[in-house]
Amino acid sequence: MKVNTKFIKEVKKYGAFDISACFNCGNCTAVCPLSAEDVSFPRKMIRYAQVGAEKEIEASLEPWMCYYCGECSDTCPRQAYPGEFMMSLRRYLISKYDVTGISAFFYKFPWVQNLLTIAIFAVSLIFFLSYTGDFQELAEKIEMAFPAYVTLAIIAYVFMFYKKTIMDKAGKMLISFDFKNIWETLIHGLTQKNFSSCSDTDWTRWIAHLLVMSGYTLTLIISNLHLLEPLRIHYGLFDISTLLVFYATFAILAGGFVMMFRRVVKQVQSSSFSHSTDWLFVVMLFLIGLSTFATHTANMALGPDSDTVSILYKFNIAVEMAWIVIVVPFTKWIHIFFRPMAIYLRNLKKEKQLV
Amino acid sequence: MNGKTEHNCDTLIVGSGIAGMQAALDIGDAGFNVIMVEKSPSIGGKMISLSKVFPTLDCASCITTPKMAASSHHPRVQMMTYTEVKNISKKADGFEALLIKKPRFVIESECISCRKCEEACPVYLEDEFEYGLGVKKAISIPFTNAIPQFPVLDEEKCIRCGACARVCPKDCIDYLQKPEEITVKAKSVIIATGYEITPMDAKKEYGENKLINVISSLQAERLLAPHGPYGKVLRPSDGKIPDSIAYVQCAGSRDESIGVPYCSRVCCMYAIKQAMLLSGSLPLSEITIYYMDIRAFGKGYEQFYNQARAMGINFVKAKVAKISEDSQHNVILRIDRQEEGSKPQEVKHDLVVLSQGLIPSRKEFFGLDVKLNEYGFIDSPAKTFSPALTGIDGLFVAGVASGPKDIPDTIMEAGSAAMEALNYLKTAKIS
Ligand SMILES: Cc1cc2nc3c(=O)[nH]c(=O)nc-3n(C[C@H](O)[C@H](O)[C@H](O)COP(=O)(O)OP(=O)(O)OC[C@H]3O[C@@H](n4cnc5c(N)ncnc54)[C@H](O)[C@@H]3O)c2cc1C
Ligand code: SF4
Ligand code: SF4
Ligand code: SF4
Ligand code: SF4
Repeated sequence: MKVNTKFIKEVKKYGAFDISACFNCGNCTAVCPLSAEDVSFPRKMIRYAQVGAEKEIEASLEPWMCYYCGECSDTCPRQAYPGEFMMSLRRYLISKYDVTGISAFFYKFPWVQNLLTIAIFAVSLIFFLSYTGDFQELAEKIEMAFPAYVTLAIIAYVFMFYKKTIMDKAGKMLISFDFKNIWETLIHGLTQKNFSSCSDTDWTRWIAHLLVMSGYTLTLIISNLHLLEPLRIHYGLFDISTLLVFYATFAILAGGFVMMFRRVVKQVQSSSFSHSTDWLFVVMLFLIGLSTFATHTANMALGPDSDTVSILYKFNIAVEMAWIVIVVPFTKWIHIFFRPMAIYLRNLKKEKQLV
Repeated sequence: MNGKTEHNCDTLIVGSGIAGMQAALDIGDAGFNVIMVEKSPSIGGKMISLSKVFPTLDCASCITTPKMAASSHHPRVQMMTYTEVKNISKKADGFEALLIKKPRFVIESECISCRKCEEACPVYLEDEFEYGLGVKKAISIPFTNAIPQFPVLDEEKCIRCGACARVCPKDCIDYLQKPEEITVKAKSVIIATGYEITPMDAKKEYGENKLINVISSLQAERLLAPHGPYGKVLRPSDGKIPDSIAYVQCAGSRDESIGVPYCSRVCCMYAIKQAMLLSGSLPLSEITIYYMDIRAFGKGYEQFYNQARAMGINFVKAKVAKISEDSQHNVILRIDRQEEGSKPQEVKHDLVVLSQGLIPSRKEFFGLDVKLNEYGFIDSPAKTFSPALTGIDGLFVAGVASGPKDIPDTIMEAGSAAMEALNYLKTAKIS
């Protein structure tokens, strides 16, 4: 393998850390509550990065095991910020696993992503507002097209992830049907339970994370399955869809506020750095939650024929357009699919004794 | 406050560790008068409490005691022990220092060091000379080869039973003694205030000084010293002879997370020394040194290190990240084992020694406007050529007060400080 000292510079585009200062003492790995003998990090990842072992990094599950509790950064004797490095690796890997190369481009030029998001939103909104046909029908078409798009994106990511970490190593497809493995994967996916292994478990962060994540997934489901038809149906307070919308909005707002607050006040390691693409995601998520909620409550109060509901709904779908097309597939938030997947692959590796 | 006395001298030396004593002897031998002030009841500094010294493995007290005796008997060196320097100010004709002599509650001019008071006293307390590992009496002579051999009465712990006063053949116990103020006028000053080790609880992950079988490096020196507290190496929790002992290197140095980013220079070497001594006294015990890299920087040091490896001492490259204990007080270390890749692991040892770093013994130097480096050591304006200079005319520095160093370097720097002071005394226009 050729040593590539420029590699660190490349990863630095994805976050602020200083692993050139690292003297390879291993304090981080030993202090990390999630690091284990079969998936050892962050020092190993830092070594890979220092010598520019790109292939090894792309084949690593380790970055997805880290939940950024920040203990390693707090105790690093060199203030190399290994925790932030792991975070940056996740951003880096997402862009690597993205077959289109768009993520990488967005990470390097976040303003392009911001601009595009605004543009798509604005164009859609203008178009929707001037649309004279049955908007509910158009919205249905749009929303029914989303799942195809999002699923395609996720499948592409998951396939690349699988290919780089398993297939390239094993030289063939490997699959585990072990029930325990599948169960563990689901549980981790649903509860993010590894958070609780951090020694000073940061419960606020865990709850906030869980809220945002569930709100995020729920919103994805609501929009991708076209569960709401506010221009056709008059919703009541106790309808299932109302409860779903209320929960999603509450989860996004409450969780999101806690996270934002921590980011802004910068009281904790894990929130002290943020990439501008993280912000885009949070802002868009807020807008989605709020506009869905506003449309829905307006519908309950004024009925499906109201002009206000129609305008709000058009705004809502325009935000959704920008969010689903530009933000969802191309920011690190796709990581909620990577984490459980990594657990599955880790067990798979163990089962098939692939080292 | 009782009485006020005034003294004059050519050089005032603050601190009587090996640096202070060496400078005092050099200046005294050259024919100038020295006052050497020491805040502890005995002169000798840290060195007198060490077991043996690297890399020669000479017995530390065997080479320190003669220096102590020489400086205490020197006709031109006056020592003032149990006396603290409060303030030093630069005057037109030199320096003026304000000292406080603390009361020993013993009339020093009468005491014949018979130790009858010590024997009679019923109160036991922690012995600070043994760094808390042994006990002493409320009135006691600080340690066997202390100089001077006067007992000190612990005012707080004494129950005023009167036993010591009754047995004292010279009637020299004085419960009413008061601190004394002393003024010293000196033409030059050498600061040799040495160091402290980084506190046991400096790194929060190291058990916050609550783990009984995790001891400090100076405690380990005492365990290994010929006149140590137990006479052999035992672990504190249960008096068991430890089968496995570990050293945690850089425990308080080279760590930005605790604010001590520099290397303390001596801790690798003293750990290797202690490990060698341990394998001498406990030949069946396993000894492991967890290190980031071994810094064997002096003449013969690398050979010393290789000798330790050859003796079977385990050297494991890993920074210990966390220390905890099990229910039997066995110590658990968390490390990243690097030999075959990277493996986070927990390892258990009976006894663990922290190789603590060296930090300045003071934050501030008696109101003098000396320049300190970013870590609080006294900075010379000409580090490469004249390490003993301080930037203030007539004020010099020696030993660890100017930065971590071992005994040979300390002695050299003390010699250099003495030369600078003599040169200054001879050439500067001071009356
Ligand atoms: C565990 C351990 C083992 C070591 N082993 C070795 C070894 O084997 N070989 C080796 O070469 N080095 C060894 N060292 C290093 C060695 O101890 C130092 O190099 C040496 O003792 C420095 O001497 P010093 O005179 O500068 O400081 P010190 O010995 O600290 O002397 C300073 C003196 O100044 C006094 N003082 C401080 N403030 C005041 C004040 N305000 N007024 C009056 N007096 C004051 C103090 O009481 C003290 O007596 C070891 C260090 C440690 C921690
Ligand atoms: S703790 Fe810091 S210096 Fe040590 S290996 Fe980890 S990143 Fe490097
Ligand atoms: S941030 Fe936490 S989980 Fe991630 S590597 Fe550091 S210590 Fe481990
Ligand atoms: S008077 Fe105090 S020092 Fe003297 S013997 Fe009694 S307790 Fe000890
Ligand atoms: S001398 Fe050794 S133990 Fe001490 S700080 Fe330097 S490297 Fe660490």
